[in-house]
Amino acid sequence: MYADGARFLAPRLRSKPPPVGTGRGVPEAPNEIDTPVMEAGHLTDAAPTAMRGRLEERLRQSPALAASLILIAIFIALVIGEGLHDVLQTTVNGLSLGAIYALGAVGLTLVYGILKLTNFAHGDFLTFGAYMAYLVNVTWGAPLVVAVFWAMAATALLGLLFERTLWGPMRRRRAGFLQLILMSIGLAFLLRAVIQWFWGTEIRSLDVDNTSSVEFLGLRVGETELIVIVVGIVVIAAVGLMLRYSLLGKRMRALSDDLDLAETSGIDTKRVILYTWIFSGALAGLAGVMAAATTNIRPELGFELLLPIFAAVILGGIGDAFGALAAGMVLGVMTEWSTLLIDARWKVAVGFVVLVVVLIIRPQGIFGKAKAI
Amino acid sequence: MSSASKNGALLSTEGLTAGYVPEVDILTDVDLRVNEGEIVTVIGPNGAGKSTLIKSIFGLVAPREGRVVLRGEDLTGLPPHSITRRGMSYVPQLDNVFQSLTVEENLEMGALESGRAKDRIRAIYEIFPRLGERHTQAAGTMSGGERQMLAMGRALMPEPSVLLLDEPSAGLAPAFVEAIFEKVNEINNAGVTIVMVEQNARRALGMSDRGYVLDLGSNRFEGPGRELLDDPKVAELYLGGTARLDIS
Amino acid sequence: MSVDPTSVAPLAVTFEALTEPAFWIGVGVIAGIYTLLALGLQVNVGFTGIVNFGQAAFMAVGAYAMAILTVKAEINFWLALPLAVLITIAFGLLVGLPALRLRADYFAIATIAMAEVVRIFAQNARGLTGGNQGISCAEDDPTLCYFNEWREASDWINDNLVFFWSDPEDLFPLLLVVWATAIAATFALTYFTNTPWGRVLRAVREDEDAAMALGKRTLRFKLQSLALSATLGAIGGFFFALNLAAVYPINFEPLVTFFAFSVLILGGLANYKGVAVGAILFWFVLEGTRFIDLPDPPFTETRIAALRLAITGLLLIGLMAFRPQGLFGKKEEMVLGE
Repeated sequence: MYADGARFLAPRLRSKPPPVGTGRGVPEAPNEIDTPVMEAGHLTDAAPTAMRGRLEERLRQSPALAASLILIAIFIALVIGEGLHDVLQTTVNGLSLGAIYALGAVGLTLVYGILKLTNFAHGDFLTFGAYMAYLVNVTWGAPLVVAVFWAMAATALLGLLFERTLWGPMRRRRAGFLQLILMSIGLAFLLRAVIQWFWGTEIRSLDVDNTSSVEFLGLRVGETELIVIVVGIVVIAAVGLMLRYSLLGKRMRALSDDLDLAETSGIDTKRVILYTWIFSGALAGLAGVMAAATTNIRPELGFELLLPIFAAVILGGIGDAFGALAAGMVLGVMTEWSTLLIDARWKVAVGFVVLVVVLIIRPQGIFGKAKAI
Repeated sequence: MSSASKNGALLSTEGLTAGYVPEVDILTDVDLRVNEGEIVTVIGPNGAGKSTLIKSIFGLVAPREGRVVLRGEDLTGLPPHSITRRGMSYVPQLDNVFQSLTVEENLEMGALESGRAKDRIRAIYEIFPRLGERHTQAAGTMSGGERQMLAMGRALMPEPSVLLLDEPSAGLAPAFVEAIFEKVNEINNAGVTIVMVEQNARRALGMSDRGYVLDLGSNRFEGPGRELLDDPKVAELYLGGTARLDIS
Repeated sequence: MSVDPTSVAPLAVTFEALTEPAFWIGVGVIAGIYTLLALGLQVNVGFTGIVNFGQAAFMAVGAYAMAILTVKAEINFWLALPLAVLITIAFGLLVGLPALRLRADYFAIATIAMAEVVRIFAQNARGLTGGNQGISCAEDDPTLCYFNEWREASDWINDNLVFFWSDPEDLFPLLLVVWATAIAATFALTYFTNTPWGRVLRAVREDEDAAMALGKRTLRFKLQSLALSATLGAIGGFFFALNLAAVYPINFEPLVTFFAFSVLILGGLANYKGVAVGAILFWFVLEGTRFIDLPDPPFTETRIAALRLAITGLLLIGLMAFRPQGLFGKKEEMVLGE
């Protein structure tokens, strides 16, 4: 089964993505009776090694906890340096950006986890959602709510369409990862081309009120932005609950963990994969509409968001849906916090820098277990 | 659909030929018969094709020639999840639990009908009390023996008639090996037919009704467990020129 | 993209120009530049098995280094060229050292992220790079432009060509030099494939663990491979910069790398000679769409640009689905699938 040697063909065969934690910080069980577990010829010692004090040990075992502490530390430092008001203001901005990242990331990470597909076309799903919303909201004049649902449905269908016509057949042919990545890049071009054909390259906007704002606690938030934040957080919470407690959610997590085992266990993996694409597409569409509402609509919208979304995916541990949600929010907030320290025009670079740093220091992300990457 | 095929076996393979790489056959023309209620063990040196045999029966490797028949129904080449629905479950040797899911979630994944899942899970905890104690623990943090139990528990969730086990004792400490084989007996006594691939030939054959010895992809020997144990030709296969296997 | 990314052809493109040699020479220059870029990718992807999505960054670093050294540090142009190459190589090694221990798909993401960091830096470090306006000439001395020496050389070539061609096009010397470089690079790389070094590279691609077991320090070879593509990328960047009147950040967006990959795949992996063919085919077909007299409603300028994107996208999808080995890749060497 592991006959194929070429390293970059099917990473699933050579090195599985690391098993990801559930974010609950369960400490590793010390080995009682057994010899260390044999895994694919490598010995992994389940027992923790050094014990250098309770707190440090817990931090080691739960990188999520460590990350939260670091985040709180940064927050406090910023408040001391820049003042509570500015920090809170940027935090609020960060929440709307973070919601977009989170909803974009969760679909991307599941698709990667289950199908081992690094979907470079995912960004254009967001763009597609934005333009779909434009179609309904501006061209047809319907209320934004309708546009949102339409956008989510249309993007979900788009995801299904490509699964049926492209990804499914390629999987059956056992295509390697490079083939899939390049195909997704081609798909991204195609999507962009279609959008550009119908809507050109001019910048457009949704029919939303971008001027009026709300004041609370001395902070000023744009009305639209506030709605985006609320909707974002509600949807994220719903998605989280669904993944954690619903049967479909558990099955998605199971498939992301080990597709072959899921098939072996009797799960109808084909069906779950279809649902995953619906899920991924719908959330990407929503994220696109949110981005359109808070900024504007251009053909490059989604691709510009793609790399920070990748950053969130990797930061949260690739394949880990909860991680993606959390990391998306964190990344959004950190991006906005950065404007307190550096000129705003560098803001776009934050996502990329985080991505590069995470890949160098801890590629399995905050929530992943420390297995070889 | 009769409950037994022509020769009365619950599960049988006829002329099974399979492999992974296009030109190379790992299994050649393997015939296997498992009667209801039996424990059948397949042993053989490394590379003999034991794992491939189990996987072909279960549809993880599509057979090139031959048939797999369960209760008179031809299952050859069906996808694994269909085979599970027809009453046969498989416990892989490695990667046999969902590491990021809890014990209870792992078991839930094996259930065919969500309505019955809770009852089935309770029944599994009765067989494996240890799993019940740790039912909210993430499977990835469990020891090897516990994972093996969980993997078996998951496979038992759909109430299979046949349980396929791929080297259940591999990588486990001696104390756990004994415990696992006892569980296998317990499960068998409860009415589940067992087909087992094992390196631990002596122990496995000792508890089996019948055994098969595979070498280089073909059946070499077949017979009641005890007889194979005492058969000098079998011993020679292991301890003679092709000795790649440790019988402990 | 508000700027048509495929309009990297010479500045003055009017409709009449489409039928003139100048236009096609311009396309030839682009094809030559992409040949160099894709040759670098071929070393990485086709022969070493590392998926470098950051080729545009090497172009950017090379081009900007050359321009900055010439215009701001006032170093002689001909000296700035090798210096810029060295700087690009250093950059490549700096990025490669931590990144190369990543799994291949993570490495791809890391390189594209790194490329975007470079581009954003170029966009925003206005003091050094001129921001979105780019660099062409010194602020305090508008006669000091990075392309001065090249223009002189180019004129000299054209003067000497008068024997063969009475009124040579302005871009013709660039075409000659680009293709001379591309052809030389192709032969050099082909030669290196059959040396022991080339064989190790291939072994690294096929099965890195086996290569390591045989005692080859694969990281070193991977870094060398990256250094090679950095060199080729930098040289491509030079020609890019000389083709236009300024070095802009927009010219180094990920689209450029992806176009280079399209060229690479079209020509076929693990085959150096196919790269040039792929580049010529790709760019002449793509730019040829301007040549076709498409009626304005519905075919506006933006729509034709969209058509070009669509063609590229369909090409990539089609190749990956039906002929991953491209034109000249061999099926056995073609290890994109199982």
